Amino acid sequence: MKLITRFILIYLTITVIVLGIGGVFSYFIIKGEVDRELTFEFMERIDRVTYLLERGRRFHPGRDVDGDRNLIVRELGSPVEERVEVGDTLIYSERLEQNEQNVKVSAYRNINGRSYYISTYGAMIESDDITEAVIKTLLWILGLQIIGAIGVGFMVSGRLFKPFRKTLEKIGNFQLHKKEYVPAEKTGVKEFNDLNKFVEQMTRKAVSDYKNLKEFAENASHELQTPLAIAKGKLELLSETELTEEQYKYIESLERSVKKLSRLSESLALLTKIENHEFQNDEKVDLSDVVLESLEAFKEFIALNNLTVQTNIQEDVKINMHPVLADILWTNLFQNAVRHNIENGVIKIELNSEQLVISNTGKDPEVDPDQLFERFRKAEQSSESIGLGLSIIKRIVDQNDLSIHYSYLDNWHRIEIDLT
Amino acid sequence: MKLLIVEDNKDLLENILKYLEREGYRCETAIDYDEAFDKIMSYTYDVVLIDIMIPKGDGLQVLRELKSVNPETGTIIISAKNSLDDKVSGLELGADDYLTKPFQLPELSARIKAVNRRNNLGGSEIVRANEISINTKTREVSVDEEPVEVTPKEYDLLLYFASNKNRVLSKQNIAEHLWGDYVDHLDNLDFVYQHIKNVRKKLVDAGANDYIESVYSIGYKFKANRSGE
Repeated sequence: MKLITRFILIYLTITVIVLGIGGVFSYFIIKGEVDRELTFEFMERIDRVTYLLERGRRFHPGRDVDGDRNLIVRELGSPVEERVEVGDTLIYSERLEQNEQNVKVSAYRNINGRSYYISTYGAMIESDDITEAVIKTLLWILGLQIIGAIGVGFMVSGRLFKPFRKTLEKIGNFQLHKKEYVPAEKTGVKEFNDLNKFVEQMTRKAVSDYKNLKEFAENASHELQTPLAIAKGKLELLSETELTEEQYKYIESLERSVKKLSRLSESLALLTKIENHEFQNDEKVDLSDVVLESLEAFKEFIALNNLTVQTNIQEDVKINMHPVLADILWTNLFQNAVRHNIENGVIKIELNSEQLVISNTGKDPEVDPDQLFERFRKAEQSSESIGLGLSIIKRIVDQNDLSIHYSYLDNWHRIEIDLT
Repeated sequence: MKLLIVEDNKDLLENILKYLEREGYRCETAIDYDEAFDKIMSYTYDVVLIDIMIPKGDGLQVLRELKSVNPETGTIIISAKNSLDDKVSGLELGADDYLTKPFQLPELSARIKAVNRRNNLGGSEIVRANEISINTKTREVSVDEEPVEVTPKEYDLLLYFASNKNRVLSKQNIAEHLWGDYVDHLDNLDFVYQHIKNVRKKLVDAGANDYIESVYSIGYKFKANRSGE
């Protein structure tokens, strides 16, 4: 729900409650006022009757004296204390066919030695009419309020919230790897200024942290490569001296370790780069070409490993991916299929516009398939692999909003990537 | 051949120097931008190796200056950064080759020779090892002027051996040279042996001596005198 909608709803709820209470008050105030006026009028009428009585006019006892007027004049047997009583009475209205509350004023008078009870009653307006009038008025007010609130709402969301929406849009468009912070813009509203200032500080910090992290990852990799290059060079120089077989073997094993270290640091740097979104791309890469070219390059390996490759590759399958990433993704997938294969094994490759599937024969997996894509998770702990290949694949897939699925059935390992 | 090595790390510099001096090259060194600038302005070299990250300046700037005064000098960039940007800008500036640390010294040696062959217009396109000659332009191998049929990989292998005569080349070295990054993730390097067996057979069948010798079944050595280079 939009903030402004919620605001209007709250406002209208409160308005309805206030108007409801106000309606009750209005009803009683109007009714009180009307009754008071009526009482004055009835008092005057009683005074007139008294005057007429003093002048010797006779009224018939009982109701409906003087025709249409609800006047009762009754002579009492004994003298009374002169007083006036004002009260309500329910009178059956023939016209409305219901009891109607009327004002009744009664007076006890001693006139020319006789005692009289003079009473008159009536209603200027029916109480239903008052209720109706009050409700009508209130509904009009409510209607105007709703129109007003919605109008204000539109204006607020349109004009008043403009800087806010602008800031939101800027935050949405903010991309860390572009290394541009969101500059605070001056607006006429303090809250928005505070917000913009805060956003500027946050993005500045994020950008500088990102830069540091990136530099660190790059430097760490760089700093590691130089000593590794030195070690490697020294080993090569050493291998040119007169050595026994045992010494050669040590050197060879050292060279392997150095190579592994350097691959490890390269792979970690690559993972960091992918995670830092350094490979942003708007162009399409022809995956069919990538696959076919690599198969050509791998041809000898495949033959030397006694593997058979069965392909079903559709041409011109293009996906949105950085060309470097597409290459790394495929190379890792394929090498994975080669490495975990068996003697005289088979690799099947299927590529069409929907998906890329690579499956290979292999031994039973020792690792839970769900954990397979985690870092340093190896199918065989003893193997020379560094255990980052699949996490790199996963990272690339995630980064490009694709999905990957691994399954194992009857000695077949199958990795499926949905390209849609 | 006269080389300049621009590299700030003393240990690495020493490795390269030791390795290349054995090839009979005259090597000079520069450990920072100022020294490198001074040397490329004062002398001419056949090949210059440039590390991108050097003190007091940028290796790519050295490359730029060098190309402006001596465009025909062969250049190889050495960098620890495996980043594409550096590679692209390096090659765009006219570098002949690009090596990522940690590189192998035999690889460096082979690349220097290749760059030199390419850039030395008067130089020979034929790499010789006694009766074996390798034409680097037509990519053909012949023994006693009789052509021998070899596959592209076998040609690369032979040229690599010829560029690193009398040196021990481990299987790892050879595999990386022939297949580059693709070999990174493979544990079993037996296929190197297969290739070497094939090359040896072809050469011997063509009447050449068997120069390739196994070193404790870990590496290989191409035993020949260095006169051909």
